[in-house]
Amino acid sequence: MAGNAQPYTASRTPVNMPPMPAKDDAEATWNFLQLGVQKIMTDLKEGMDMKTYMGLYTAIHNFCTAQKAVGGGAGGFGAANNRGGAHLLGEELYNKLIDYLKSHLAGVRDQSKQHVDEALLTFYIKEWKRYTTAGMYNNHLFRYLNRHWVKREMDEGKKNIYDIYTLHLVRWKEDMFGATHKSVMDSVLRLVEKQRNGETIEHSQVKAIVDSFVSLGLDEGDSTRSTLDVYRQYFETPFLAATKKYYQEESRSFNAENSVVEYMKKAEARLDEEKERVFLYLLAEITNPLMKTCEEALIKDHSNMLRDEFQVLLDNERQEDLGRMYKLLARIPDGLDPLRTRFEAHVRKAGLAAVEKVAAEGDNLEPKVYVEALLDVHTQYQDLVNKAFNGESEFVRSLDNACREFVNRNKVCKSGSTRSPELLAKYTDTLLKKSSTKMTEEDNMEKQLSQILYKDVFQKFYSRNLAKRLVQTTSASDDAETSMISKLKEACGFEYTNKLQRMFQDMQISKDLNTAFKDWQSENLDAADQKNAVDATYNILGTGFWPLNPRLPPSRLPTPSANYIKSQGKMPYTFQVSTFQMAILLLFNDAETVTYEEMEEATKLNKENLDASLGVFLKAKVLNVSPAGAKPEKGTSYTLNYDFKNKKVKVNLNIAVKSEQKQEVEDTHKTIEEDRKLLMQSAIVRIMKSRKKMKHQQLVGETIAQIKSRFSPKIPDIKKCIDILLEKEYLERLEGDELGYLA
Amino acid sequence: MASSTPATQMITLTTNDGVDMTIERQVAERSILIKNLLEDVGETGEAIPIPNVSEPVMRKVIEWCEQHKKDPPASNDDDSDSRKKSTDIDEWDQKFMQVDQEMLFEIILAANYLDIKALLDVGCKTVANMIKGKSPEEIRKTFNIQNDFTPEEEDQIRRENEWAEE
Repeated sequence: MAGNAQPYTASRTPVNMPPMPAKDDAEATWNFLQLGVQKIMTDLKEGMDMKTYMGLYTAIHNFCTAQKAVGGGAGGFGAANNRGGAHLLGEELYNKLIDYLKSHLAGVRDQSKQHVDEALLTFYIKEWKRYTTAGMYNNHLFRYLNRHWVKREMDEGKKNIYDIYTLHLVRWKEDMFGATHKSVMDSVLRLVEKQRNGETIEHSQVKAIVDSFVSLGLDEGDSTRSTLDVYRQYFETPFLAATKKYYQEESRSFNAENSVVEYMKKAEARLDEEKERVFLYLLAEITNPLMKTCEEALIKDHSNMLRDEFQVLLDNERQEDLGRMYKLLARIPDGLDPLRTRFEAHVRKAGLAAVEKVAAEGDNLEPKVYVEALLDVHTQYQDLVNKAFNGESEFVRSLDNACREFVNRNKVCKSGSTRSPELLAKYTDTLLKKSSTKMTEEDNMEKQLSQILYKDVFQKFYSRNLAKRLVQTTSASDDAETSMISKLKEACGFEYTNKLQRMFQDMQISKDLNTAFKDWQSENLDAADQKNAVDATYNILGTGFWPLNPRLPPSRLPTPSANYIKSQGKMPYTFQVSTFQMAILLLFNDAETVTYEEMEEATKLNKENLDASLGVFLKAKVLNVSPAGAKPEKGTSYTLNYDFKNKKVKVNLNIAVKSEQKQEVEDTHKTIEEDRKLLMQSAIVRIMKSRKKMKHQQLVGETIAQIKSRFSPKIPDIKKCIDILLEKEYLERLEGDELGYLA
Repeated sequence: MASSTPATQMITLTTNDGVDMTIERQVAERSILIKNLLEDVGETGEAIPIPNVSEPVMRKVIEWCEQHKKDPPASNDDDSDSRKKSTDIDEWDQKFMQVDQEMLFEIILAANYLDIKALLDVGCKTVANMIKGKSPEEIRKTFNIQNDFTPEEEDQIRRENEWAEE
């Protein structure tokens, strides 16, 4: 049955091919094959006829299947053919092919020596293409060998046996590539350098070289897979080295003749160019190492020079160039850190300078002027961060740090660390008061607020002002107030705004109570009583939440009577007054003229308060004094001014007298100090309760960590607090530097 | 290359006994040998000489290729487990293989030569099924094989392969 392989008859043999060799004659078979392989390798352009193709394939097939016909053990290879399985033939052909490829490549290699540069590349690429095409052709012709002998050898784990196409690549790598890759690569690098110098080059040449190097990356473990090892070692590495050298030299000479800004533009352009180069003819895998190499040569090596320029650009507000610098330095590791430091210092300086300018006003400094000066600086650099620094969070933080610094430690604050939040709170007050129309600025407040170190101070002033706005109903709108509070809540937490919110609640409850009371009045009082009733509004406020100091009420509030009401009716004015002031005014219900002694007696107010309240009435011309210009003392008497005139119907007489205002500020500061002490003490107790024992030093550290979100405590203050707690026997001194907690 | 030519293109094969057979290219390309050849040499209109196959065998092979021309191409050389393990043969193929022993072996050799993997498998499976469940003596009879073992050799082989006995 195997004997059906008839020898080729002469009539079918192609003219240029000898007759089919005897199938068991390795030498003859190879000689027959070599003619074909030679043609494929060197002269494939002419094409190959089907008879030759089939002849070559069949010769290989016949050779590999010859054994059966010869009979087991009868051939020259019988010794290896033990009973275990059929021995496959083909090794001779495989080795002959190797020899042939070696000698072919030796010839190619010799020819390559005649060429340099582009001519060498052209030659190399041409030979490579011809060789690999032939390799694929041979792979088909030798397919029978691949399917059986090669497959069996590989299955048995033999090393250095490859399918025919891979064999071609292996030979090229050994016999051609090894001796030529250096000169080829040198030519490639010279070509690329030409392009970097602005000449036009044939991209496809470089691309073809890259592809050929990649093809040679054979996985030793699995020849069907490829690796990039060869390409990495022989292309990527020298390419990167040449790139580095090129840009080091270029940037050195460029810098000698150009400004830093010009250099940045150049570097930017070069980086873009290199990226484009990858796309044009390099392997995508090179992108990262190539960019890294360029970044090192173009940016990192010059980072100091760039950073030195940073200050100049900041001073001249060169936003575009700053953006350029940011983009360049952002490419290298740790490139931006020094910029951030400089940026922070610069903003701080700018902020302090701005404050310095307005600080000339001294104590009369308008909150508005101050806050606006701060906001201007912030806005200016915020804009820079967004536009030039891509709004990067680290720069935002530097900006915040700088702002915190100049908001809290500037010339205005020299007198006291609490001045800044105080001014800010006052400014908020003016914004939220009805008279103000600039509600939008509220947003900026929020920004400022986050930078204030002494949030507790701000809170005190803010809540005091808020209380006043609520009680005196001078608030512009509830919405604005609520939105401000929710902003505070966002910036400082729930705890911070708790009291503020309770104040709002109190107001709401009071409103409801008042309505209910009026309803009750209209239902239960008869017309006469209703007429006599004082049209009053009451606010019931929880002492715990309202930062108002309740005044000692006078011993006696004079009974209101018709006289005052009538006079109210005559003059359609509504006076807004404090309790003290009301006590005084009510006296005029019974008499038109009241003496100082009578007032003193009736209201039981101390002199200070009485004088202050009277001062307000006189100034507003609600009362007339006689004798005119007399001091508030015995013998002076006061008369109701029936000619009182005012543009407004509702007159607020509850204005703090100047001395009172100052007093209030001082009081606030005092309460802040007290609150801080309590805060520190409770923090200390909390820490000690959980730790039981602790070193003094450690305790101070922990306390600072717990409290710093509210304000920055001073170490001596903490020590003082610890002493107080020791005194109160919350804590005890233990051996060494340790403190213990006493339950 | 020729791969873009329509499947209905006709190809002529010349068997080793000088008979020309014209078939659809798609049918001919079940043979990887012919497929590669058409790819490498290109379509010249020349008849393709098939020096190792005779006309009657070629007819059988072509019949099988016609039947299977729409099959998906074999998934490379990677043998799937089901193909390797199972001796199941589909009905048409079973019928197709109902030929005399000589023809069966000719088909197997031709499939091997022409590189038609699926046909080679069917052929080998058919032979395997002929062996399955038979004693050595029966197998010898089936394939007309002369026993060239000495009794001692035979005994040793039996001992070595005891594990395979039921």
